[in-house]
Amino acid sequence: MYNLFHTASVSRVARTLIAVSVATFATSASAAEELTVYTYDSFISEWGPGPALEKNFEAACQCDLKFVALEDGVSILNRLRIEGKNAKADVVLGLDTGLIEETRKEGLVQPHSVAFDALTPVLKWSDKDFVPFDYGYFSFIYDSQKIKQPAQSLQELVNSSASVIYQDPRTSTPGQGMMMWMKSAYGDQAENAWKQLAQHTVTVTKGWWEAYSMFLEGDADYVLSYSTSPAYHQVAEDKSQYKAALFSEGHVMQVEVAAIAANSEKKELANRFLEFLISQEAQEVIPVTNWMLPVRKGVKLPSAFDTLIQPKPIELTPEYIAANRKTWIKEWRSAVAQ
Amino acid sequence: MKLSAFTSGKWAGWPALGLVATATALAFGGLIGFNRSEFDWSYFSDPYFLAILRFTLLQATLSAALSVVLAWPMALALSYLKDSTHKRAFLSLCVLCFVMPTLIVITGIISLLGRSGSLSPLLGDDWNLYGLSGILIAHIYLNLPFAVRTLYLRLQSIPDASWRLARQLKFTRAQRFRRLEWAAAHSATWLLLGFIFVICFNSFAVVLALGGGPKATTLEVAIYQALKYDFNISEALALAWVQLLIAGSAFLLVSFCGKVSWLSPASAPAQLRPPATRLEQLAYRLLYACGWLFLLAPLLALTPRVIHSGVDMEFWRSLSRPLLITLGLGVVSTVLSISLAYSALRPYRRARMQQSPAALWLDWLTSHSLAVPAMVLSVGLFVLLLPHLDLDHWGIWLVAAINGLITVPFAASQLKPALLNFDSQYHRLSLSLKLTSRERRRIEWSYMAPAIRTAAAFVGMLAMGDVAIYSIFGNQDFVTLPWLIYGYASTYRLDEASLASMVFLGVCGLLIFYLEKQSPRHA
Repeated sequence: MYNLFHTASVSRVARTLIAVSVATFATSASAAEELTVYTYDSFISEWGPGPALEKNFEAACQCDLKFVALEDGVSILNRLRIEGKNAKADVVLGLDTGLIEETRKEGLVQPHSVAFDALTPVLKWSDKDFVPFDYGYFSFIYDSQKIKQPAQSLQELVNSSASVIYQDPRTSTPGQGMMMWMKSAYGDQAENAWKQLAQHTVTVTKGWWEAYSMFLEGDADYVLSYSTSPAYHQVAEDKSQYKAALFSEGHVMQVEVAAIAANSEKKELANRFLEFLISQEAQEVIPVTNWMLPVRKGVKLPSAFDTLIQPKPIELTPEYIAANRKTWIKEWRSAVAQ
Repeated sequence: MKLSAFTSGKWAGWPALGLVATATALAFGGLIGFNRSEFDWSYFSDPYFLAILRFTLLQATLSAALSVVLAWPMALALSYLKDSTHKRAFLSLCVLCFVMPTLIVITGIISLLGRSGSLSPLLGDDWNLYGLSGILIAHIYLNLPFAVRTLYLRLQSIPDASWRLARQLKFTRAQRFRRLEWAAAHSATWLLLGFIFVICFNSFAVVLALGGGPKATTLEVAIYQALKYDFNISEALALAWVQLLIAGSAFLLVSFCGKVSWLSPASAPAQLRPPATRLEQLAYRLLYACGWLFLLAPLLALTPRVIHSGVDMEFWRSLSRPLLITLGLGVVSTVLSISLAYSALRPYRRARMQQSPAALWLDWLTSHSLAVPAMVLSVGLFVLLLPHLDLDHWGIWLVAAINGLITVPFAASQLKPALLNFDSQYHRLSLSLKLTSRERRRIEWSYMAPAIRTAAAFVGMLAMGDVAIYSIFGNQDFVTLPWLIYGYASTYRLDEASLASMVFLGVCGLLIFYLEKQSPRHA
């Protein structure tokens, strides 16, 4: 979900500042109808899809797209809950499959009118509230110059002594994905597996970016990221040593989604924006800025994408996740806090 | 009535006192009355809760014990060394280290002992700063100087007569320690243990930045996470109550036992102290040198990063706004805190002059918020204000206001001695001279100016270094310098973190220079 940065030299905070100032300048541009979008910060950083999408959409709609940057997917949901009726969002962008049901149940979104004919059949998408805009598979990334024989299953990784960095499931969607992965691989035994993993976990970070930059500095053998991450290194850095490990249990799929906020009165404009998100134009931008797979059929991708692993998806319904997320989080934190 | 001549009115100061008390009452209202959640008792048997409670107690106990145990030899060494410019500088540095914004210290420690730290290669492959070790190092760094200075001042207060006696009775070194030094400073030792325990129990920034995941989390950080990670208000409230009960009662217990005096200026060392043996002298000098090294190391560790950092103009531009916001925040909080403290002390002073028994509880009321951890106050107000206020819009003002409120006890403790002095020395005189209230106020102000400056420097530093309150009410439109540094440090952008810390340190250094320059006159 997060785009990778050229030299990883700009911190989240600095990026946020840039993003915020970009957003602020954008507001003052015109008095046209405003569409406020809550998203996560890296989406609207200057390397992310935000700026290009904003330019293209504004040109078409004669409106003013205003991004509000939050830390990441889980934070967007928390923000909506915290603000309740005061929420300023018209569109929320950057939630994922694991948060869909909870968001819906709390009445934070309203139905859209977007048609899904052009979407890839892989997603089997038909949700009436949420529109997918990219997807990927959670994967552990390793440096093939350092690790010659990568783990071939999640169990092998958990049982090994290889150093691992992953993200906090309470703040970060990859961390949440890891939780689902562990649950589907271990079921009732997950608590013990977490404890075992904790033995060789370097740290659990708040967000994806911290984890990934620590990994690039050589602090761990594996980092939790996406199957698409190696494409970034190939395209932007011309480096091919970073690879995603293919696990025999299959990989949890993350679909990133957008929706119209429950109390938005700009339903029509919001729908246009959601339609734009899955348009050919936007779908060509997103893979090479957010480094995820396009949701639309027939989008041309750089050849680096052909070299990526093709994981077997683990199917988890949003209802199942929503019913268990809180319990899983409790189980995780109890296990790792020991 | 005579006293009405002294104040502009019988009720002067009461609004300020009322405001301070109302803020706490509102926070409690938030803690008690949030209706969306039922208080979840089962949470207290959750292994996660027990693990963080255990860890919080463990780190606070260890931090307190280690800081005080290590402070003792250092304080002894200082007390035997002749007065000199560098010794005075060392004592000033002790003040700076204790009040310095924690994020500067954290950055310094990371550049020294973090993954790519300059000292890390010496510590072996297994070394990991993040977790208990990092938390302890930072806590010792922040609190040891406070303990050293407190103990040193106690040791300095041993009267010459005692030393003379010790000489005549030919006390051994051990006897001198037991009969004189320990006797003079043992009560301070227990108090210090208690105070440092409370400070570390409430520690937020250090644990957030150096904690390293759920294995090393304290209650304070868990409150923040419950609110900001899960938006689990009932859990945040449950944790806040535990935090309040433990930290609050520990604080009340400690403050009931006595008061730590550590800011008073160092007096000249006793002349009659028996001379140290050469071996002792050597040990003292060595300890003193170690002390310097320990206090300077994390600050010096910032320098190479600052010199070799390849940041561009964009970075400096990105720094200017947080710097201005932080300074603005400092000014607003300080003005609020000082004026509240000044007015809130009015009823207390009146009661003192009337020798009314109310003085005691008025004093307590002014300083009661010390027992309420900033995080608890913030969460209470957050929950209360959430449905009624656009917190995004008002966030930064709330950060300034709450910082102003919680620093009132600090401001009051700085202003009180000078105000009471003024009252006892000039009150009758100004009445007998039949001065107008304006003239009296002018005299009072000029008398109070140095104490106000000291208090302002103190409060300003505390408010500017705040992370806990900001973490609850702050937002990305108003990033403060400490939060920016936290962002850099937690994403391993150490060059940027060091530069920002250096700038911040410069601001604080100026303030402390000011503080130390003023303190000999009024402390």
